[in-house]
Amino acid sequence: MLSYYLQLAWLSVRRTPVMSLLMILTLAVGVAVSMTMLTLQHVMSTNGLAAKNDTLYALQIDNASAGDGGTSSGNKLTNGLPYLLSYRTVTTLLRSDIPLHQVAMHRWAAALSLENNQVRPSKELVRVTSRDFFALFGVPFIYGQVWDKSADNDARYQVVIDRTMNQRLFNGENSVGRSLQLDGRPYQVVGVVEDFNPLPSVQDLTQGAFGGNASIYLPFGLHRALQMMPYGSMTYSSSHPRPQPQEPLTPEQQYEQILQERYFWMQYWVELPDADTKNAFVSYLRNYFDEQRKTDFFERDFKYALSTPSQWLALNQVVSNDTRVMTWLALVFLAVCIINTIALLLAKLLKQAPETGIRRALGASRSAIFIQNLVESGVIGVLGGLLGIALSQLGLGLVRTLVSRDEAAVVYSDGLTLLLTIALALLASIIAGCYPAWRVSRTSPAYYLKNQ
Amino acid sequence: MLQMENISKVYRTETVATHALRDFNLHVQSGEFVSVTGPSGAGKTTFLNIAGLLEQFDNGRYMLDGISVSGLSDSARSKLRNEKIGFIFQGFNLIPDLNIYDNVDVPLRYRGFGRKERQRRIDKALEQVGLAARQKHLPSQLSGGQQQRAAIARALAGEPAFLLADEPTGNLDSIMARQVMELLEQINSQGTTIIMVTHDPDLAHRAQRNIQIVDGEVADFHGFNATAAAV
Repeated sequence: MLSYYLQLAWLSVRRTPVMSLLMILTLAVGVAVSMTMLTLQHVMSTNGLAAKNDTLYALQIDNASAGDGGTSSGNKLTNGLPYLLSYRTVTTLLRSDIPLHQVAMHRWAAALSLENNQVRPSKELVRVTSRDFFALFGVPFIYGQVWDKSADNDARYQVVIDRTMNQRLFNGENSVGRSLQLDGRPYQVVGVVEDFNPLPSVQDLTQGAFGGNASIYLPFGLHRALQMMPYGSMTYSSSHPRPQPQEPLTPEQQYEQILQERYFWMQYWVELPDADTKNAFVSYLRNYFDEQRKTDFFERDFKYALSTPSQWLALNQVVSNDTRVMTWLALVFLAVCIINTIALLLAKLLKQAPETGIRRALGASRSAIFIQNLVESGVIGVLGGLLGIALSQLGLGLVRTLVSRDEAAVVYSDGLTLLLTIALALLASIIAGCYPAWRVSRTSPAYYLKNQ
Repeated sequence: MLQMENISKVYRTETVATHALRDFNLHVQSGEFVSVTGPSGAGKTTFLNIAGLLEQFDNGRYMLDGISVSGLSDSARSKLRNEKIGFIFQGFNLIPDLNIYDNVDVPLRYRGFGRKERQRRIDKALEQVGLAARQKHLPSQLSGGQQQRAAIARALAGEPAFLLADEPTGNLDSIMARQVMELLEQINSQGTTIIMVTHDPDLAHRAQRNIQIVDGEVADFHGFNATAAAV
């Protein structure tokens, strides 16, 4: 019977084209607005590290100054803890052998070129990281391997690039052993990895939800040699005034101060495969904290957070409250569209009621009439959904013109959201169709036959 | 075939109770052609609606082909209506967007027949009413008489036990009315029971038996050329 009902539905749509079009448009607009906002929310809440969500943790330690009682300062997340650590802290933690993997890292930027000038120089985002980055985040190597462990402590001018960069610089060939230049200094390529561009860039949300991915990775041990400063946030926090040296400091001494004092600019991730390892790491953390507390490096009581990637996304409010409110408003708008569709459907079905009376006289049960009318609503819903997809693409296009380039690059609906659009339209139309279909199916056929 | 005992039906509003049928008794045997006459408002349409299972009655007992219809669910009543009863209306009541073939197809769809069986029955019914060549026409492309014949084909396609005809010639001119009446007589002669409501005394007299309804009761009946009797 379904094919028969579908035929009747299509016939009905053709019979009342204006009213049907109105309903299709009403649903399409409601669905398009909702799907535009849901797509935005979906994109922004995607967890690119979901596969390792149970074992990866971003570390926060309460390293704020003693006088800092607020929770809303710029370098803190919603749990009241700062999101960056000091160089001194992370280099100490890196010495622990408790975590399966651990990564200290920050963003850096440098001018990229090749010795033979085969590529146009460009400023590139660089991730300065300890070697576990690739193992911890599950980034596989295509060629070569990660730099030696000593490069996490000593200056080694080595570099790992991703597939896209390798394609751009070396036409995708095995580039291990070749060199590239950063700020005019040559670096030897030791490995080529697959692109690692989770969106949002959950591994580094310091500069927004979409700005943390890089194609070039440098060893952590280069800090002193290059006097690296972060391309992004760095804060200084202490209740004590900064020590004033008797004599002017050399640049090396000044940089050493940054590394050893309460300057916060490092991100830290650990991989803790089970509860025992996690407990052991927390104990290690507490011991370190207590020890440093004695020297006043930490000024507050021990407080820390180990957040899984999904918790990290939430703490960083990647999906902002504004986005949530807009999504709810869009859903309310969809509800208004559904209510309008109910009214239109009711008018349409009541207009068709005499035919319903005939069908009832010829043997159609109430349930058959109900289903027939619901299928007609569904057909309108599917048509509304298809139009809604087109309109939501327009909506997303509009959003892309309003956001940054990084964000615009990801504001696209995928197959899932397209399917969801159809499903939402179908659901909306069925919800809208239930009452009119029920109402028409309950009316006495004799009434309609008498009024023919 | 059809047996009604003490059927009553009251339409109520907040202030008025109208007795459409009161203690209505009727027994129609298989193969009969019964005409039902009476003044306007006498209860003819109510009788037809109850007989056709389109309306519920308040009291009494109604047996249709040996089945008591009291207390049947809507689904069971619809099935019974589909299988046992064919309707012919004064206004034809064809679905305007469906061609004649698809109009005749409607009751068969609800019967659950397969495509081949439906086609066989539709072809046979349209052949019987002389519209085989017009099956792709829309109702609006046919004359009134042809539309009524299409409606009769639709009623016949399900091979019902009896036909309920409500003023089947009311909208037709005399020639077409005669043709339709002859068709009904022919159908009856093949064994189908027919109950026909009409205002036309000439047509009423062409039935085997005439029931006159006045104020919701059977006021009189006349056996014209059959042995059946109203109870």
